Amino acid sequence: GSLLLLLLMSNLLLCKNVASQPMCPSGSSCRVSLRDLFERAIILSHYIHSLSSELSQEFDAQYSQGPEFFTQAMSMCHTASLSTPAGKEQAHQIHQKDFVILVIHLLRSWTEPLSHLIIEANHLPKAPDTLIAKAMEIQEQNQRLLEGVKKISKLVDPEIIDNGDYSVWLGLPSLQSNDLESRLFAYHNEFRCLRRDTHKVDNYLKFLKCQIAYDGSC
Amino acid sequence: MQENVTRAVVFTLLLCLNIRLLNGESPPGKPVIFKCSSPEKETFTCWWKPGANGGLPTNYTLTYYKEGEDTIYECPDYNTSGPNSCYFSKKFTSLWSVYIIRVYATNKMGISASDERLVDVAYIVEPNPPKNVTLEIQQPEDGKPYLWIKWVPPTLADTASGWLLLQYEVRLKHEKAVEWEIYFAGQQTNFKVLSFYPGYKYLVHVRCKPDHGLWSKWSEEHSIEIPSDLNMNDETTWIFVAILSAVICLVMVWAVAFKGYRMMTCILPPVPGPKIKGFDTRLLETGKTEEFLTAFGCQGFPPTSDCEDLLVEFLEVNDSEDQQLMPSFSKKYPGQGVKFRHPDRDNDSGHGSCDSPSLLSEKCGGPWANPRTFHIPKVIEKLENLEANITCTWDPLNISTEGKIFNFHTNGSRSSTWPLPQPSQHKPRSPYHSTAEVCKLPMGPKAALATVLDKSVKDALKFSKSIEIGGEEKAVKKMEVESFPAKTEQDTAWLLPQEKTPFIPEKTLDYVEIHKVNKDGALSLTPKQKNSIDQTEKPQASEISKEYVKVVRVTDNNILVLVPDPRAQNKEAPRSLQQNQAEKDTSCFTATPSNCRLHLGGSDYLDPASLTHSFHGQFE
Repeated sequence: GSLLLLLLMSNLLLCKNVASQPMCPSGSSCRVSLRDLFERAIILSHYIHSLSSELSQEFDAQYSQGPEFFTQAMSMCHTASLSTPAGKEQAHQIHQKDFVILVIHLLRSWTEPLSHLIIEANHLPKAPDTLIAKAMEIQEQNQRLLEGVKKISKLVDPEIIDNGDYSVWLGLPSLQSNDLESRLFAYHNEFRCLRRDTHKVDNYLKFLKCQIAYDGSC
Repeated sequence: MQENVTRAVVFTLLLCLNIRLLNGESPPGKPVIFKCSSPEKETFTCWWKPGANGGLPTNYTLTYYKEGEDTIYECPDYNTSGPNSCYFSKKFTSLWSVYIIRVYATNKMGISASDERLVDVAYIVEPNPPKNVTLEIQQPEDGKPYLWIKWVPPTLADTASGWLLLQYEVRLKHEKAVEWEIYFAGQQTNFKVLSFYPGYKYLVHVRCKPDHGLWSKWSEEHSIEIPSDLNMNDETTWIFVAILSAVICLVMVWAVAFKGYRMMTCILPPVPGPKIKGFDTRLLETGKTEEFLTAFGCQGFPPTSDCEDLLVEFLEVNDSEDQQLMPSFSKKYPGQGVKFRHPDRDNDSGHGSCDSPSLLSEKCGGPWANPRTFHIPKVIEKLENLEANITCTWDPLNISTEGKIFNFHTNGSRSSTWPLPQPSQHKPRSPYHSTAEVCKLPMGPKAALATVLDKSVKDALKFSKSIEIGGEEKAVKKMEVESFPAKTEQDTAWLLPQEKTPFIPEKTLDYVEIHKVNKDGALSLTPKQKNSIDQTEKPQASEISKEYVKVVRVTDNNILVLVPDPRAQNKEAPRSLQQNQAEKDTSCFTATPSNCRLHLGGSDYLDPASLTHSFHGQFE
């Protein structure tokens, strides 16, 4: 009886220790490279979000057909099904591994929509060349960021399982709508959602850098 | 009856309304939500401005709903953020979802609603100003003093967890300055100011901004008095500089004092004047263009096609250091008199160093490659600058010179040579045609040469050198001069008699006179007494009997071996021809011309008279 109790206690203690083990198993060199990877990822995510903000605002400015024209255009983003932390407390509650997978999921969800957006935007009136250029830049940097975060995930947990999940995008018909207003609303929404998701990714990565690479205090 | 009652009621109501309106009561005005912001990306607050209250106590209510939801909520906290505000705590704040907010003003008379306000908390982050700003003067021992500004992030901002990333900005100025100096401090919480004026009081503000948000307000003003006795300069640096400059001064003084002359000569080498054989400056002086030009074998100017004996190849410039013309010639010739030097050699004696008997040896790279030929710096420079293409085609009648006559482009200042003063016209007039060579000068160079020569004369250069233009073995294929940028376009610009005297040598001219001719035909030459050119020139034509000699060889003692030529029935050749011939001959003299077979217009005769004259020209 007492032996069992002893075993139980030791197991509990061990479990606790395992849970609080640092994320980087192979020592200091791993930590340094993790910091570098995070720094690079943050630079990319910051840049991507800046571009997305500009893209969204420029589109609204260029294609708005009146004040508050796009207010009514709000609709759900295709990534809304993904449960993402909406505050700092919620962010603290997610496991770091899952958090990294979440970021990868978000990034991957935009690969397809971006490519379609670029193609379909050519059919917009008023020569949206700068918009398309920005979208292409976002697409390119997004891919690089995805690769970078995958590398981070390998360092965070070598046995991490990436299912390849992503949110399915079904917004193509709206982009190809015959009604110009519907089309504009669709674009507005896509850009709004892109701006939001890139802000999430940027925020999460900056948070995770301090949590993972700097042990919770930058 | 009923009508009366109805009328009474209506009247009363209207009366009441009238009274109320007279009291100023009305439904409330429309409120306006003017600001919503979050200080730390975890909570947020919205403030509104009430409209007119209609004279009655008005109640304000804020309601909201989130995108995609139907439920309408009311503001959870009206107090924390002050009057006319609504504070959303962490519990009620969700980032990345849009809040649609409205404020209602209610009073007894009615309700007014504000416009809808759409808020996404992630985009409305505006932090509080930084706190605990401290100012210090730091004076490190091995550096300049600096003003050190430190602060901490605002209270609520959680930068440690990485949830909020802040960047800072500092502004400062001294009390009496007008404008602020603004410095971006990045993510660090301190800043060093290196440039400031001692004795002033400085004012400092700090503010911050999240990575994708809005700037905070400026912090409170903090000031610091900079002590006037602060030493801003780095003493050790100044001491070092002072010592170094003192040392340098001493070195220079010493150098100048003890080795002044040598240094001067080293830095500014003396410029030996050029000498062109056959180029009698006195002629130029007197303005006798024709005679002057004939010295070059040009029959008048512009040159005609008859000018066979283009003496380009015979043009010599000797660089005898001591300027002893004739005597040095007799002594040193041919070894030293005029030797061709390799262009790259740096021997100021001006003597050629070509060992081969041919006047223009390949080693020399051409007779005109005499590096010290022209130490007329200005001339040389001009020549260098002038890029003339002078192509001289030589009739390969054993008269050949190889190499570039005009090395205007010098690699260094060495290889410039005197330009052939044979201004044959390029296009319009016929170039010189001689059995020996044809030298074609484009117009540009000619004019440029004129100018160049002009200038060189003005500078009174010494003619210590003579150019040798030997036409010995080598065939001058081309004498190329880079094309001159024509300074003047005039065809006749070349060496026109100018008011300014051209080519005035500083030193007197030494002339050579044929002393005697011994039985072997050796010519001994003595320096002639200084005479005017005119005296020598004109009488020559009439007085001097024409004896013709033939140059057989030049001995080792630099003695010309001349043999009289019984065949010498040289007719009264034109003066210029004689000159040309003479100059051609003399070019032979100047080297070791065992191979020098002069073909002077087809005759092998040397006219002593012309020889004399050419010597005149040579040793001018």
